[in-house]
Amino acid sequence: MKSIHLLFLSIMLLGIISCTSQSNEQTFDSSKLPKASEAEIEKLVEDFIMVEDGGTILVKPLFYDVKTQLILDNKKNIKIQGAGMEQSVISFRNLKTGGEGVKIVGENILIENLSIEDAPGDGIKAQHTDGITFRKINVTWTHGDKSKNGTYAIYPVQCKNVLIDGCIASHSKDAGIYVGQSENIIVKNSLAFGNVAGIEIENCDNAEVFDNVARDNAGGILVFNLPGLPKADGKGTKIYNNEVIDNNHENFATPLGDGPNGNTVTMIPPGSGIVLLAAKEVEIFNNKILRNKTTGLAIASYQITGFPSEAPNWSPYTHDIYVHDNTYERTLKIPDLTRELGQMISVYNAHGKAKTQDIVYDGIWDTNLSSDIESNPMKICIQEAGMDELHFTRFYLMDGEDNIQSFKDYKPFQGCQISISTDVSGLASL
Amino acid sequence: MMINFRNITFLVASFSFLISCENKKDSQNPELPAQTETELADGNFPYRNLSTYGFFGGEIKKLRPNPSLIPYQPASSLFTDYALKSRFIQLPEKEQASIEYDSLLLPKGTILIKNFYYPADLSIPEENIRIIETRLLIHGETGWEAFPYIWNDDQNEAVLKVVGGEKEVKFKNLQGEDQVVNYLIPNKNQCKTCHNQSEQLAPIGIKIKHLNNDFDFTNGRQNQLAYWTEKGRLKGFLGKEHHPHLINYEDTSQALADRAMAYLDINCSHCHQANGPASTSGLFLEYDQVEPLKLGIMKTPVAAGNGAGAFDYDIVPGKADESILTYRMNSTEVGIAMPELGRTIVHQEGVALIKKWINSLEK
Repeated sequence: MKSIHLLFLSIMLLGIISCTSQSNEQTFDSSKLPKASEAEIEKLVEDFIMVEDGGTILVKPLFYDVKTQLILDNKKNIKIQGAGMEQSVISFRNLKTGGEGVKIVGENILIENLSIEDAPGDGIKAQHTDGITFRKINVTWTHGDKSKNGTYAIYPVQCKNVLIDGCIASHSKDAGIYVGQSENIIVKNSLAFGNVAGIEIENCDNAEVFDNVARDNAGGILVFNLPGLPKADGKGTKIYNNEVIDNNHENFATPLGDGPNGNTVTMIPPGSGIVLLAAKEVEIFNNKILRNKTTGLAIASYQITGFPSEAPNWSPYTHDIYVHDNTYERTLKIPDLTRELGQMISVYNAHGKAKTQDIVYDGIWDTNLSSDIESNPMKICIQEAGMDELHFTRFYLMDGEDNIQSFKDYKPFQGCQISISTDVSGLASL
Repeated sequence: MMINFRNITFLVASFSFLISCENKKDSQNPELPAQTETELADGNFPYRNLSTYGFFGGEIKKLRPNPSLIPYQPASSLFTDYALKSRFIQLPEKEQASIEYDSLLLPKGTILIKNFYYPADLSIPEENIRIIETRLLIHGETGWEAFPYIWNDDQNEAVLKVVGGEKEVKFKNLQGEDQVVNYLIPNKNQCKTCHNQSEQLAPIGIKIKHLNNDFDFTNGRQNQLAYWTEKGRLKGFLGKEHHPHLINYEDTSQALADRAMAYLDINCSHCHQANGPASTSGLFLEYDQVEPLKLGIMKTPVAAGNGAGAFDYDIVPGKADESILTYRMNSTEVGIAMPELGRTIVHQEGVALIKKWINSLEK
């Protein structure tokens, strides 16, 4: 298949007048907190280094201006406890070296009741950890200029048994809550706002994302599988009972005016509610998907990025998707024109130029499975109430950008049901 | 009687309280010069003072090794803000290192000693030396542990500082230009950012491939592993050609691709390999990596954030200036700069080498 690259000069001009929102909202003002002394800061750094298995690291109700990384290394049964999100704040604004503010490796680790601010790379990263709980932590950036913000706020990667509960992640240049290359995952009761991506599940198995609010991001909730990673592919995600609303923030993953780079998130068109990319076995139900100006839900295969789509043990296709019982609300805002995917939706959707969509499907299928898409070879099942009222577009992109077509007909994707199984009961003990 | 007794105990108690306060104050007095504190070399590592280990005879800052130390040098050196390094290994008495398959196994009790220093002028490396830090890797009962010692301004002692630190360093570079480096001494756990094999702390330079080459010992130039063998400190060495050996990337007589891979191996592959912390990226930079995607050729980044700059791929063959790899090597901004630690300034020669190599790759 030809790579799909859309370049519309006239639309680029329109892009200038389209309105994307920008947020610098903070849930509280940490500058009013008492400052930790040099000795108290050094004590905290030392506690991370010297704590023994089964120990607790207490973070006092102070503002910690930490100039080095806080690293917990290969410890078991550790609690890192603050006095509350708005009381115990660790700032990495003056960190001069290192990829993340807090780094955790170990087994059965809990971090709760504190805030992490202004890390130059990632806020808090947990790697190779079996049993990691983030509870009531707030990770954010307070710069006015968001181009300086870090990549991920809450970042478990290559972990097992991940619980993210009651957290807030805001203003990250990539995903606020990003779970990568992990298995057995719960993300619940959390709030993600002002990020490029609110919550992202990438190359993961067995994840449930529920009772969260993803608002005012460029994209609300993302399920991706990217090529060339040690955990080659992922499957089994349930997304339910979430509010995915007003995700119309500008995409600041690259500087304003610059196009996307090789980071896939830079391509996300502002105004995207839920985005599936090379996703497998995903069930999306009972969510409120409201006022996302480009599309409520996008179902896409990796080919749409235009990047090479071959890697070992990985498939670029999105398949086995079950979407049902969600609530949608469109806006009168003009869909995104700053990103190619936004332009495609704005111009080529099946309901008229510049109309917000509820569900778009890129219609890229594996021709080894079927010669046409009418047989629904990728098993995309959509059972929403009042489908006639929704803006559904299925694109035809198999000939590349010279012959883009779109269709309203949702019937090939109805009357089916996919059983998606996840089991996160093992996380109850965390 | 009762009352009197109470008064006495009260007096005694308050008196001892005063004494204990005094004691506490004394032991915490930061003005106390380190070298006047006597520390017993009781074998319970880590010691507070570097001098307690007795590694160096005479004036400690001369770094003259006692006979139990063997100097070593990897074929290529990991860049650390142009700091020079002197490295020693101390094997426990009467014990040997051994080579099994591709691994160099070191007995418990082995200590690796790495001194980081700057001469006032890099072109006169033996003169006007200021030692910044000494890092010990000690192979203890539960595995390797890292301990950073920071040298004092008098250069007569270095003291263990697990939280790391920061020192301003001035030197003249090889081009004769004045340089100021805000040298960052990593905290104890940051050491593992690089020294990490499957989440166990592990040496970087002490590997067969790095040591299987010549070194200028005081009594002549010799293959390092052969020297160890001759001294009875190593078994299993079958001769240079029977084991992997890397070249020095600075050796311009070698092929460009070999030099580039040697550079990436020593500077990047401790993280960027399947068992390293950067395995998350899928970018693997060992010297013998042959799969283009793993090497970064036309590979999109995963979690690079700002590190991607305006670019799509880690390496674009023939286009060094459009490759994320060189973009990150050429930056000093935290969050963009690679490697993440030990590099607050750009390694100009390293960037030039990797650019030349990428530009030589067929488009």
